Amino acid sequence: MVSRSFPQLLTCFNRTAVGSAGCRRFSITPPGRATPQSSTAVERVTSPWTLMAAVCLQRLPVITADCSPIEQRFKQMMQQMELEKSLLSDHELRLMEDAERMSRKQGNEYDSDEEEGHGDQEIMLAQDLEDTWEQRFKSFQPAPRVRADLDKDLTSVQRCLADSLVLLAEQQVGAEKLWLLPQAAWQEGETLRQTAERALCSVTAAGFKATFLGNAPCGVYKYKLPKAARTESSVGTKVFFFKAILADSAPGTAPNTALLWVKKSELQKYLKPAYMMKVDRFILSL
Amino acid sequence: MNHIFRKFPVTVTQQASILSPSLCRTTPSIQHPVWCTASVGDREYRGMPTHGIGRWKYLLPRQAPKKKKDKTQMKQMVSATDTAYGTLNVKVSGYDMTVVEHYSQYIHNLCNRLGIQVAESYALPTKSTEVMLMQEQGNKMYVDAVLKTHQRVVQLSSLNTSLCPIFVDILLKNQPEGVQLLVKEHTEADFQARFKARPELEGLIAQINQ
Repeated sequence: MVSRSFPQLLTCFNRTAVGSAGCRRFSITPPGRATPQSSTAVERVTSPWTLMAAVCLQRLPVITADCSPIEQRFKQMMQQMELEKSLLSDHELRLMEDAERMSRKQGNEYDSDEEEGHGDQEIMLAQDLEDTWEQRFKSFQPAPRVRADLDKDLTSVQRCLADSLVLLAEQQVGAEKLWLLPQAAWQEGETLRQTAERALCSVTAAGFKATFLGNAPCGVYKYKLPKAARTESSVGTKVFFFKAILADSAPGTAPNTALLWVKKSELQKYLKPAYMMKVDRFILSL
Repeated sequence: MNHIFRKFPVTVTQQASILSPSLCRTTPSIQHPVWCTASVGDREYRGMPTHGIGRWKYLLPRQAPKKKKDKTQMKQMVSATDTAYGTLNVKVSGYDMTVVEHYSQYIHNLCNRLGIQVAESYALPTKSTEVMLMQEQGNKMYVDAVLKTHQRVVQLSSLNTSLCPIFVDILLKNQPEGVQLLVKEHTEADFQARFKARPELEGLIAQINQ
């Protein structure tokens, strides 16, 4: 195959608050990507397999998954233990000092000259600060974590924010339409990864910005044509899968093929069993 | 004490003569030279067969004595080949120190398990950010909070390209909330940034050079 010098990756993954796109923010700058060398005059052995590359585009979870009952109980117990073992913070010490000073002020023998200089603290008591913070907290409305209507809509990329989703596309394979990971046929002179990138752009046509995780495929699926359709030059197809992470979910144009965002548990309903077995191996259900 | 020792050989020889008169004509006196010539100051263990049984330093390879004036050298940077990335820095940063440290420990353990060689694992200095809010009445800004950003770096000496997508995928799927993950190549500048600047030394060097 054509040898290429290795592109270096510079990737930055952020888990910040839910942005408007409902996606994790990304940046990738491949510094100094070497231009691919043109293929030398090497005798190519034409194999009877047609090569295709598919992309496994994943949308990572945006919010944390809910804790199971045991996890919740353990979390509460640990919080309680840490609270009991902890020391008082500056704010709590200040509260205590202020309370003490108030009680002394109310007493008869109070001499304000004897007090140490805490000018700021006498004006703005710690309790007042707490009250203002309390007010601000009450006026804050967080976005709902789970939206039932969005969860049921399989085409929306914002469904199931706590799980990672995989993109499926309905493509014409041979005579029938099948649900599979978006794939495209390999052409001469390009790497399989470029084929996968082309598959993403052409099949979805929805302007997804994806970061490919590497040049090496993560899985392969071999399909032998039925005996009747086999010829000398085409025995079947080999599909190589490449992993990619969704960077920006704002679709530019409407997709021309049907697209679905599914969780790993829902994949079985859409994929053929043999295909599912191979795909199952590299999709992590973490 | 000597008289006790001297008695013993006598009794032993008597026994020896009783036990084996046929084996040897002359009854050999069992010599205990150490005990016979024992004086109070000598240590008897040097003649014991187990003497020096705990020695191990002589088995180690000879190390040149470390000079303190040696400037800390950077570990050799591995350059990228066709099948592997070179020295990579996995930088984990966030506001919550326990989460950041636990995540960096998780990455280090994951690398050990997957057979990825970890060159170094260090922490960069903490950066404090003061959050200043505008007062509701008036133009003055007041300090609302102090946020500390902690950074931990796990330096990998080389990463196979076939392993890279799997490794990065696992890291991303296990990334905790509030933690930023950054994977980049290691450069000389990164290494030098860890050292404190010494303005007097630099001033003197500049003076010498002028």
